[in-house]
Amino acid sequence: MTAVPISTLTFRTNALDSMEALQAAISNTQEQLSTGKAFQTAAGNPTGMAQVNQLDMELSASQQYVKNGNLASGNLNLENQALSDATNLLQSARDLALEGNNSSLNAVQRQDIATQLNQQLQQLVAIANRTDANGNYLFGGFASSTQPFVQNGNSVSYSGADQVSQVQISENQRISAGDTGSSVFMGLPTGNGTFTTAVGAANAGTASIGPGTVTDPATWTANTQADPGPYTITFTDPTDYTVADGSGAPVTSGTYDPTTGGTISFYGVQVTLNGNPASGDSFTIAPAGKTSAFATLSGLITTLSSTTLNSGQMATQIGQSIEQIDAALNNLGNVQASIGGRLNAVTTSQSTAQSRQTALQTSISSISETDYAKATTQLSSQEIALQAAEQSYASLAKLSLFNYVA
Amino acid sequence: MADLLSTSVSGLLAFQQALDVTSNNIANASTPGYSVETANLVEAPGQSTGIGFIGSGVDVQSITRTYNEFLAQQVRGSQASYSSSNTLATQAAQIDNMVSNPSSGLTVTLQSFANSLQAVASTPTSTAARQALLNQAQALAQQLTSYDSQISRYGSQLESQLSGDVAQVNTITASIASLNQQIATASSNGQTPNQLMDQRDKLVTQLSQYVSVQTTTESNGAMDVYVGTGQALVTGGTASKLTTVAGTYDPSQLNIAITGGGTTADITSEISGGELGGLLSARTQVLDPARNAIGQVSVAVATIVNQQQQSGMDLTGAQGQPMFSVGGVQVLADANNTGSASLSVTRGSLSALTTDDYKLQYAGSAWKLTDVTTGQAVPMTGSGTAASPFQAAGLSIVTSGSPASGDSLLIQPTAAAAAGFAVALTSPAQIAAASLVQGTAGAANKGGATARSATVTDPSTWNASSTGAPYTVAFTSATAYQITDRSGNPVTTGVYTSGSPITFNGAQLALTGSPAAGDTFTLGLNSAANTGDNSNILAMTDALSAAALNGNTASVASAANSLISRIGVVTQQAQNNATSQQTENQNATTALNNASGVNLDKEAATMLQFQQAYQAMAQVIQASNQMFTSLITAIHG
Repeated sequence: MTAVPISTLTFRTNALDSMEALQAAISNTQEQLSTGKAFQTAAGNPTGMAQVNQLDMELSASQQYVKNGNLASGNLNLENQALSDATNLLQSARDLALEGNNSSLNAVQRQDIATQLNQQLQQLVAIANRTDANGNYLFGGFASSTQPFVQNGNSVSYSGADQVSQVQISENQRISAGDTGSSVFMGLPTGNGTFTTAVGAANAGTASIGPGTVTDPATWTANTQADPGPYTITFTDPTDYTVADGSGAPVTSGTYDPTTGGTISFYGVQVTLNGNPASGDSFTIAPAGKTSAFATLSGLITTLSSTTLNSGQMATQIGQSIEQIDAALNNLGNVQASIGGRLNAVTTSQSTAQSRQTALQTSISSISETDYAKATTQLSSQEIALQAAEQSYASLAKLSLFNYVA
Repeated sequence: MADLLSTSVSGLLAFQQALDVTSNNIANASTPGYSVETANLVEAPGQSTGIGFIGSGVDVQSITRTYNEFLAQQVRGSQASYSSSNTLATQAAQIDNMVSNPSSGLTVTLQSFANSLQAVASTPTSTAARQALLNQAQALAQQLTSYDSQISRYGSQLESQLSGDVAQVNTITASIASLNQQIATASSNGQTPNQLMDQRDKLVTQLSQYVSVQTTTESNGAMDVYVGTGQALVTGGTASKLTTVAGTYDPSQLNIAITGGGTTADITSEISGGELGGLLSARTQVLDPARNAIGQVSVAVATIVNQQQQSGMDLTGAQGQPMFSVGGVQVLADANNTGSASLSVTRGSLSALTTDDYKLQYAGSAWKLTDVTTGQAVPMTGSGTAASPFQAAGLSIVTSGSPASGDSLLIQPTAAAAAGFAVALTSPAQIAAASLVQGTAGAANKGGATARSATVTDPSTWNASSTGAPYTVAFTSATAYQITDRSGNPVTTGVYTSGSPITFNGAQLALTGSPAAGDTFTLGLNSAANTGDNSNILAMTDALSAAALNGNTASVASAANSLISRIGVVTQQAQNNATSQQTENQNATTALNNASGVNLDKEAATMLQFQQAYQAMAQVIQASNQMFTSLITAIHG
């Protein structure tokens, strides 16, 4: 191979070109080291940039979900506290009802109990109208700025909404941040949940009727669909009764022993009577309707304050109220269990979010951050290359035949 | 004897001239574009004598430059490619820098906006959270409009650079033409004017920096220069002028035309290479697509959020108003149109909307739509009338006026969208967090079903029928229902499937639990008291993260993200091309310089050679003198 002569200009420009290229490479490596970023713009690593952007968005969203979760658990804890307070209150109301369900009490003593219950009713309304730190009602549902429960005398009405706001606690999980007043305190079944019992207003005897039980729900449902009642138990004499349906058609009949009391069964339900019925006394059994914790308490107050009810009516109505308080307590327990479940979901999603965020941050770093060991090694090898290029150029540039031409 | 002297003198003169050439070579060792020159020595004609021909010395026959046209063409070609890629890379890097800011990029802003929606959803009554959402909306608007205005600024810089480059090309071609004349004149005596040729070659290389050119050399030494697909820039001593003319659709985008022989022809599509080629590529490959893509993101955000606002109720109890305003479809008529056709174009399906531009051309009897970006014909449905607009590419096109055959209009679906993107809401209370409607269960319902949610899914249909609200959904059995309006007029009947919402008149009612026969539910306007209702704003976060763009394949955020990476890819490619073409250009330049440049060592050797030859020749004269003296002495002596 013959040597190609190199023009003096080429020798110089080539040397400068390669030194410039090395300097640019050094500057790039230095920028990586000083900024800590493996690439400065999308052009440096288009796919990497897209990945980092995507991961950054996921990280930011995850942080927002954690914030949402904190807010939701704050609300749920407030609600849980309110429900515990309401439970305690209803427990003591139940105790008072039991105390009042005693035929030896006189009207004044019952009135005292009624007065205590009246205060508890007011306290229950206050609990149901509690607000969060921002003044939003805990039990108003969507209508969180409107006081949900308004007491007017002994009656309490609900003006809140029937839906409650959802909070997103993870990418694909939303929970209710609260419960509506209607689902917590309202919509409770009357009586034993299936039917109510009542003593005829004009009864002359002292017999009372218990809340009753359902022995065969299917038969009851089938028959009440055909005739919703109310069913009436009528005593033709103190020991004989007939049962008639809503249209007056006879259902069954039987005998009753006032000394031991007795159980009357028909259409899959049974009720227990106590005491002495008079001839012509009647008792009604009707499918259960809906009531509220407030209506239950105010009904109890009305019963205990009454001076006209006979002992059978009194015992029956107090018994019904206790059943309904139990139903209210049961409902509060269910809501609290659901709150517990939701708080649990928040905790789980937040701890998942935490490990996810760590993983995301690690991924982001591994894509976007400078590998210092690599960059430092690269920088020193680039420095050596530049030094070598500069030194060799400096010494080679001196070489010229003219140096020897005298 | 006389011959000896004259031979010697010829040698002295020749070597002096050769040394002059060498000295000129040494002087121009560092001059770019200088081609090394050589004094070509030839033997002087011999004299016939009886014993044969005796030579009469040496002559410098010519001084020629060492030049390789093939290598020079490679230098020019690679120069044009490099300069084009480099210009494209520089332009693309501006956009790349703009969108790559890691702390305030478009994806970051979009996510912050989504987070603000979540914050309002978590605390729908909080004015602070609502104000923060408006602030984020403002930040998003600022970012989109600032991107758009930066792209516009880069665009107008590009246009002025285009004009400047055209002026440079004209200056260079004028000089080439004038050199062509001088070269033709100077060459008429048979010698080549090396200096003028070097100068001209240097100018042609310079010209390649601005635009890719082809050259041919005429017999008189003049060089013809062509651009594009053979449009003559220089013919002998005449240069044609390049001019910039306003684009026929968008007058702010300049086209390049060539003027020669009294005619002007638009050669924009034929221009390639050089800065001009790079600028034109940057316009069509970087700036216009980036503006369209940012426009698409703007349209998507505005459409999705505004639609959801309309499905909601704000804090004052009113139906939600659009949160964003966004620029409409831009229609630009060809300046050469002879008819009077105009278009009214609106956007329809967000999913079908593209980032491409479209040309609607009247072909004598019918309109034809072409995707300008892909060059593909796009089928349209409809007839272009207000009653039945053309439907294509997510656009609804209504034509009016009378077109002449060949008339065309450019439709830019998203180009002007970002510029018009602004926050339309003024008060935090106007954020429609609540659903526009609410569902309630009848008080006397026997079944266990509750109204879980009520939503407006199609605000325009709902708005058209909202006078009938509240609607009553009455269950005639556990699985069948009839819907009546407020006046009791039947609306529709349906079969209820547990878990599926009941949909009618653009609204939806979702139930949980099992309804019983005789149960009723009401779907009516939401109550202003429901300030804690966040269902609409949650739906907004869902809609914003759903894949609603590009044929339902991309969400707003992923469209924004792919816009960033696409710009990154274009920039990276341009930079890589520029780097490799720079190397190619350096290699070609090295090859040319090695072939035609000055090597000082070689010149030193040549100098010594001629110096020694000159000295030897002088010695011959001295020898001749001595011979003469010897002869005289012999005669006198």
